Amino acid sequence: MAEESESALQLPPSTAAEGEGPTEVSPETGTPEPPSSAAVSPGTEEPAGDTKKKIDVLLKAVGDTPIMKTKKWAVERTRTIQGLIDFIKKFLKLVASEQLFIYVNQSFAPSPDQEVGTLYECFGSDGKLVLHYCKSQAWG
Amino acid sequence: MEEDEFFGEKTFQHFCAEFIKHSQQINDGWEWRTSKDCSEGYMCKTQFQIKPGTLVSHPGTSAHVQTCLPVEEALELPPDDFEVTETTAGSQVVKYEYHVLYSCSYQVPVLYFRASFLDGRPLALKDIWEGIHECYKSRLLQEPWDTITQQEHPVLGQPFFVLHPCKTNEFMTPVLENSRKINRSVNYITSWLSVVGPVVGLNLPLSYARTASQDE
Repeated sequence: MAEESESALQLPPSTAAEGEGPTEVSPETGTPEPPSSAAVSPGTEEPAGDTKKKIDVLLKAVGDTPIMKTKKWAVERTRTIQGLIDFIKKFLKLVASEQLFIYVNQSFAPSPDQEVGTLYECFGSDGKLVLHYCKSQAWG
Repeated sequence: MEEDEFFGEKTFQHFCAEFIKHSQQINDGWEWRTSKDCSEGYMCKTQFQIKPGTLVSHPGTSAHVQTCLPVEEALELPPDDFEVTETTAGSQVVKYEYHVLYSCSYQVPVLYFRASFLDGRPLALKDIWEGIHECYKSRLLQEPWDTITQQEHPVLGQPFFVLHPCKTNEFMTPVLENSRKINRSVNYITSWLSVVGPVVGLNLPLSYARTASQDE
């Protein structure tokens, strides 16, 4: 499978990702994770040690799900799966009735509160974490 | 093991057995039960959760408290401040039971669940609601009775809440097809439960992910 060797883009902070697109019922702080301060300023890398270091995440589409033009993202460790799901949904402009699932090992959906950093520690290789995403109307 | 188009009861039992094997390795508490008079079997697990009485956070979730804070402050706050700060104010222990059964009519697994306080009083759906993750609430709010219904447990004959199985194939099919393409076998039960479990407060430890798929 050919990988794009573009430089990883910074995932926008979860708070900035809200406020546009389809309105969800939950308020803008619907994402349960506390955004780390490193997430606030995309582009400024904080050399403050490994805890602030971002994870390279490679997003791959499954099934009929649209493929993201940008597949490689730098994501802060504390970003949760739910935060990532919200981001991809907005990026792909999915409608509210469409559900998005993220899988590790192409088969297992981590809980929404699971952090990218933890997933990287368990399933990362070659310096990145590969996540597959799939859209569905499961509960639409 | 080849992926079957047809997810029959035998396949169901096989994947449950594999799932339980791993559960035993990590002490996750899943058990297999069979009904006395027929060959039906199902998986079940009991877990206890603390249901907060007032607006305090569960360990690990800071959603409730964060809604009160302006954005700037939220960025500075370390997560540890939002561990359970008060345990006395009316918080109670709730016993959750999760049962995984096979549905002959839909030919997929189905998740039954119920919750009760320690004195045996059952929780109503609206109480269970609080255990549902924020991200699912808006969707389930739109049509709660289409997705969660109350039904009689096929084996125990007692009322349980059920996550409706009619859409199971929709989200399972792409995963299964994908795994076929890359020649990996997938434990259907593990995959499925990892998706539906969190909706009703059941989170699978990550170690299941390794057993979810194996290279053939």
